[in-house]
Order: sequence, then structure tokens, then C-alpha cells
Amino acid sequence: MPERDTHLVDLVDLGARRGAAYADARRVEREYEAVSVRDGEVESVTRSGDRGIGFRVLHRGAWGFAATDRTDDMSLRSVVDEAFARAEAAASTRAAAVALAPVAPQRGEYRTTLSRDPFAVPLTERIALLRAADAKLKGPHAVSRRGGIAAYRTHKHLVTSEGTDVQQEIVESGAGLAVTAVKAGAKPAQRYDSRLVRQAGWEFIEHLDLVARATRYRDDAEAMLDAPLAAERPTTLVFTPEFLALLVHESCGHPTEADRVLEHEVAFAGTTFMWPKDRGRLRYGSEHVSMTADATIPGGMGTFGWDDDGVPAMRTKLIDRGTFVGYLTSRETAAALDLPVAIGSARAEGWQHFPIVRMVNVSLDPGTQRYEALLRGVDEGLLIEAPASYSLDDKRQNFHFSTQSARLIRNGALEGYARGVSFQSLTPAFWGRCDGVADDWELHGFLSCAKGEPLQLMRVGHGAAHARFRDVPIEVRG
Amino acid sequence: MTVRGRDAMLVPLQDALRDVKADEAELHVHRRRSAISRYAKNQIHQNAVADETLVQARVVVAKAVGIASANSLDPADLRRLIADATAAARESAPNADWPGLAGPAPLSEPQAYDAETARADARSQADAIKRVTAAATQRACRAAGTHQIELTEDALANTNGIATYAPSTLAYLRALVTSDTGTGWAEDLGWSARSLDPSGVAARAIEKAALDRDRTQLAPGDYEAVFEELAVAEVLRFMSLTGLTGETLRDGRSFMKDRIGEPVTGPRFSLWDDALDPRTLAIPFDVEGTPKQRVALVEGGVAKGVVYDRQSARWFDTRSTGHAADPRRYTVGGHAGNLTMAGGEAKREQLIRATGRGVLITRFHYTNTPDPKRATMTGTTRDGTFLIEDGRITRALANVRYTMSALDLFSGIELLGPQRLARDWWSSNGMGSIVCLCPPIKVARATLTGSSPL
Repeated sequence: MPERDTHLVDLVDLGARRGAAYADARRVEREYEAVSVRDGEVESVTRSGDRGIGFRVLHRGAWGFAATDRTDDMSLRSVVDEAFARAEAAASTRAAAVALAPVAPQRGEYRTTLSRDPFAVPLTERIALLRAADAKLKGPHAVSRRGGIAAYRTHKHLVTSEGTDVQQEIVESGAGLAVTAVKAGAKPAQRYDSRLVRQAGWEFIEHLDLVARATRYRDDAEAMLDAPLAAERPTTLVFTPEFLALLVHESCGHPTEADRVLEHEVAFAGTTFMWPKDRGRLRYGSEHVSMTADATIPGGMGTFGWDDDGVPAMRTKLIDRGTFVGYLTSRETAAALDLPVAIGSARAEGWQHFPIVRMVNVSLDPGTQRYEALLRGVDEGLLIEAPASYSLDDKRQNFHFSTQSARLIRNGALEGYARGVSFQSLTPAFWGRCDGVADDWELHGFLSCAKGEPLQLMRVGHGAAHARFRDVPIEVRG
Repeated sequence: MTVRGRDAMLVPLQDALRDVKADEAELHVHRRRSAISRYAKNQIHQNAVADETLVQARVVVAKAVGIASANSLDPADLRRLIADATAAARESAPNADWPGLAGPAPLSEPQAYDAETARADARSQADAIKRVTAAATQRACRAAGTHQIELTEDALANTNGIATYAPSTLAYLRALVTSDTGTGWAEDLGWSARSLDPSGVAARAIEKAALDRDRTQLAPGDYEAVFEELAVAEVLRFMSLTGLTGETLRDGRSFMKDRIGEPVTGPRFSLWDDALDPRTLAIPFDVEGTPKQRVALVEGGVAKGVVYDRQSARWFDTRSTGHAADPRRYTVGGHAGNLTMAGGEAKREQLIRATGRGVLITRFHYTNTPDPKRATMTGTTRDGTFLIEDGRITRALANVRYTMSALDLFSGIELLGPQRLARDWWSSNGMGSIVCLCPPIKVARATLTGSSPL
């Protein structure tokens, strides 16, 4: 950990002396290193970093926030002035004061547990791995191949006027592969994954087995070129954990964000169909569907020691055996909805951002049967492997997903490919069709959940297992 | 907001490049000072300002490229940045197709900058919001939205002698008005705060919200349609990303692949990329320092060409058109980000009167492309979707899902209105950087594939 930043204490003290009901100062320093290979050649080696301080005050019942990447005295004084000016401007529009749900002052440090620092892995080793994977991506019709490996490190130090003083060091490792295959007379096929990321060291990259994965992507892309169109009719679908991770993100994670309930995101990300009166009543899915928000899962991209409100990592149920039961909250939104602090979800992408409600690790809970048993229960259906396009309405109620590749299931076994598959549904109707979740739960990570203005791209985690859905109406386009 | 100016932005770059030990080197600094007031339920709930400076170094050693970025113009930090990029280049492999860095070329003057806008403060933003919320409250509605003032300063210098600087400003106000029965949306966008009309924005959003009552659901199918400017910008986004760049042409993913010189849409559709149009939001050079050029993309329905950065220009043995993409958002290969679509004279009422039975679409939410090769877009509408019957709006509709190829949609253009500055949902939220000058249109056919609940 770097040394404690005394600027933060000074800023918070100054905020308190100027009459703020609450003040916090957050210093964030980020490092990023990536190497990418395109068609077997190193396309780029990139190193980046930034650092700065964000200062937030609750003054006259309203928030004001200012951030700078300069740490000279004049810049820091200016940040305080600007935060107060913005709070006063906001207060001139407010009828009700912002309140914060109580949390005890926090002290301590959090560090990612890792076996091998990804920044310490020689570039030659990373490039060699990517080239080996690239060689496997090369099928007879491949026209474009890409691969990348990235490492991220974030130091964060938060000091609040309530006595919280916490430091965190988070390290993440990730990789991505993509292949585009083109054949005369056939629709181009793409197979890719950019969500192979974990709060972990180089050991996660090794765990991914990029070479074997590249072989599978090549085979999928080549097979999709010649695959027959699927039959357009209500179909039993089995989804991979990878696909369900995105479905959970879009159709459960987002609509349970409490700031959507308060209409804070109504003009951008949207609202929700899961209102406070629906808690404990709304049938979200079948009895097989339970979902949990958990900021404590080792390796999760939504795992931390404390959120940016200073709330320690917690775990809470969002969907319990098909019924909507909980929200993701910040201290502000918990107070506004008269909820206890059951999860800390206030996070900012960087020093320059205001903390807002974000997902932590939001996961579909595992079932008890084996994946093979789920498959055996399908006479005729499709295994939906990886998402391609996805589009959702502003309430997260109406969605449309298409897939990069789909496999035919006949008599409980995988048998060839089918193309052109997409599906649209209403969220409760979709999850209501779930008649089984397997026990092969695995964790996925997203780097760029988009929300907030200015836009904040947030790391979030999602766990899921294979799951089966009956009679899903699908669309097929050639 | 304080403008740092040409010398403060450019001189540190030139100084840092003097002693570079590499074949080529480039420094690009992008400073952004963004002040955003977000409001909901008639009151500001987030009010933030951030000032950040992103510096990117590209260093080339024997055709191997290293990239490093940081957020400081301090001389020691710039030296360290160049050293990092040099080390990355030495560790990297040569790019046999490396096109070299750009050389100096004449540039147009920056046009999208207004000093008064750069000086706007938190109180002026709150005052604009109060005009919107007061109008909404008067109609027993509540308003939400964003007021944004942004100042950017870009400077770029390289070892080939480029030394260029451009400031720009952005002013944006959007309002979502919610009544007891529905919602309405309006927004203004420009490079000057004077182009924002809070009262006009409020009035337009309130008018739509008032019409949004007694919604009915529309069955999936093909309908005549009026697409307002924001909806058109959404469709154009997918044309840009899937088909208008050297990279998509090279990969065979572009709808223009093997079709340049052939009709791809109906004759009423023309599209070009023109960052030099004084109405749009742009600076006169791209992130490689190349002057931006006007590029004809589709003329009278006939495919004319795509935009190039230096790398994709090398692939096609041609010259960069000044369309290198922001590397934080897009891959190498070009980016068409200042689209201009030919417009017409038809007023909004004429577009509606020309519709027998169809839908009016104000805007879309969270769109995507299930079929990039056909520039197909899917997305749900929001904040103003109406049924048109016999030339007039008769009912509000539950939001509909639209799924259709842009090429097919634009083949059916029957009437065009005047152009207006508009951004798609993604770009207006910072997830893209495409700005469109585009008209509202009346089309013969739009395919609706579903409806949200009432």
C-alpha cells in the first residue's frame, strides 16, 4: 500500500469546518497494462495510469462533487470551493435534504489475494501465449483474429468526516479472444469473449487455457458458417453459465439498483419494473430461480473491502425462490427507501466520478443437479453458448438477445450447430420458464457495466450455472 | 472554467519530444473539464465537475509500436511516459504494415468552441434546470435530465513536426417529463450554451408527455413510420460502426464490401462524414494529427466509400481521411463520427400527414445489432411512441421493439425534414462518440417485432 495521503484528511477537515454535514475525499491511482495480437502479430503494447482526488460534500441538504488530477495546494482549495458551489447550486433546487443510512466508521486495508503479480509476468511470456492461442484461432475461413491480455491495479484511499479511513489494493487479470470467419454465400461468423476477467493474478490467465479456448472458438466460427438455420418455434433452451451471467446482469442486476427506483437514472439508464411495493410479492421467476448480491466472493470483479460510501462488503438476497426480495443500495438510497444497509453498492469508476449504485457480484444461485442431467431432460432443444447482440428496454422488462453460436440438443446429447437464433421476452416470463439449474456454478467478470453521467464503466461479477428454460419462443434470421 | 490555451498544452509536448531516442514519437493530450448537473423529480441529485488530462504517447522503434498514457503534463511525468512507451515498443514486435506517423498538413480553424460557454458555472446550470422543472411543475408533471457543459482542449505533437491545438465546447440539456400517464422527451445540443433553450426543451417534452396517455399495444408487423432525429441518429450509429470504416471493409463485415458504386439504399438517402461543418461538434484533426476531410459515404443510395485512419489507409493503399478513432473506445481501422445525412424541407406535421397508418418514434433505448453485415438494429422505443392514423396522431403506444436493416429502412424514405444536431442513445451517454446532423424522416416501412407491456 502507498503511504496514507494526508491531503485527504485535510480536505475532509476543511469540508467539515465549512459546514458540510458530511464530506469524503477519495484518492485513486490506477495502472493498466495490455498487449494485443492481431493476426499473429503484436498489434500494441499499452501501459497507462492515472491518479487524482475526488471530493464530495453534503451541504445544505445536497451533494456537491469536484475532482482534480492536480494535487498542488491551489488545485485542492479550488476543488473544495467547487464542490461547495455545486452543492449550493443543487440545494437551490431541492425540496428535501439528502439523508444517509448510518454506518459505523471503518478502518483497515483490503488486498486482492493473488499468486503471481500479472504486471511482473514478462511481456515475452504474455506474447508467446497469445501467439499460441492465435495459431489455434486460424481456421480456413478466418479473416480476422485478435487476442489480448490485460492487467489492472487500483489503489484507493477513502477518508470521511465520520471517521472512516480505509485503503484498498485491487489487482485484476483478464484476456480476450476473437475470430471472424467469412465464406462466400454465408453470413460472417464471429466468436469472441471479452469477459474473461477476474480479481486475481496471472494464475487466472493460466486457468483460462487460452490455447484450448481458441481451438473451440475457431471450431465454433467455422461450424456456424455452414450451420443450418434453427427452426423458429417455442424451444427448450439450455444456457451456458457465460450467457446466463449476462442475462442475470441485465435482467436482475440492473432492475434491482435502488437509484432506478428513485428515478436518478430515469433519463439515462432507465428505471425498473421492481418497485418497493413488490418486495416479497412480485413473482420474478420460477422456484428454481434465486439470485444473490455478494461483495465477498474471492476473485469476484465486484468484490472489495469497502464500497465508496465506506460500507463493508456484505451479501444479500435479491431473488428468493422466484420472488423479488431485495435491492442494491447506497447509503443515500437505503435511507430514501427506508431500508437497512444490507449491501454496500456505492461505487465510482475512478477518482473523477461520483459514487452511484452499482452491482457487486450478482449471481444466479446454483442448483443441485448435474449439467448432464439437465441435458438428458431435453428431447429436442438448443444449447445457447455465447451472447452476441443484446438490447433491453428502460425498465429491464423487455429484452432481446442473439447468440454467437448455438448447439442442437437431441435426445439429451449435443449434435451439431444451428445459426440465426435470437429471442425476445419479458423478464418475469423468461425466468418463469426456468425448470432447472445445474450445480456447475462458475464466476464471470465484466469490465464495463455502463451507467451514470459522465459515463462510469464499472467492474462487476456474475456467477451462474447451466440452466434450462422450457418453451422459449425464438426468432430465426438468416 | 479556465482554458489553459495553446502554449500551456502544446509546449510541454514539444519539449518532451526533443530528446526522444526512437524512430518516431507522438504525444497527444486531451484535457476535459466536464460539469454535469443531473436532476430527477424536479431537483438536482448529482452535481459534479471533474477536470482531467489524458496524455498518450506513441513511440515507434523499428516499426514496433509502444503506447503509454498518464494524466500529467509535468515534464518529469512526460519523460517517464515516453520512456514507458519506448520500453513497450522495444518489447513489442514490428508491424510490417506500419504506416508511419502523420506529417504536418494545413488545418482548418477550430469552429466548435465558445469562450462564454467554457466559463459557465454551477449556478447557470441550475438556473437552466429550474426553467425546465418550473414548466413541468406547472403542468403537474415531474422532470428529470441532465445539463452538461464541457470544455476540451486537444494538443498533438510528433517527431515529424506536427504541432497542433484545438479547444472545443459542448452544451447539452435534456429533459424527460413524466406525467401521471406517460413520458415525453426533448433535448438541445450544440457547442454553445446559447443554443440551449430550456423553455423550448420543456415545452416539447411536456407536449409529448401530455399526448402519452391511454396507451395501447401494437401488434408486431411492418408499418409506415416517422422517425424523429434522435431515432434516425440511432440507426446511423449502426451503419457507422458496422460498415463505414476501412477495418470493416477489410474484414468483409461491411455492407459496402464488393458493393462500392452500387445502390445499397433508395435514392433519397445520402450520407457523408464531415467534421468541418460548422454546425457539428468536432475539432479539425484526428488523434493522429491528420486533418479531417469530408468523405462521401452514400450518395443517392449508391455506396461511395468509407473513412480511413493511417493504418487502414495503408491496407488499401490510399491516404488517411482523418478518421483515426479514439483508442479508448474503438479499435484501429477508422471511425466515422461526424455523420451528415441529407435532409429536406418537410415539416414534422407534413411527415405525420403523409402517414396513413403507422408509428411515430421519438427515440430508442439500449440498441444493438443482431446482424452487423446488414447494419440491422434492434431496440425498444421510449418517451414518445405514437400511432398515426389518417395523417394524425391518434393514440399513444406502449414502447415497441424495432428490428430492421438500416439499408432497408433508408430504402423506404419518402419524405425528409430539416437537419438537426443529434446523438444516438449510446453517444449521448458517453458510450460512443458519433454526432449526427440528420433529418426526421417518413418511411414506407419499419419492422416492429414486439411490444412492451402497457
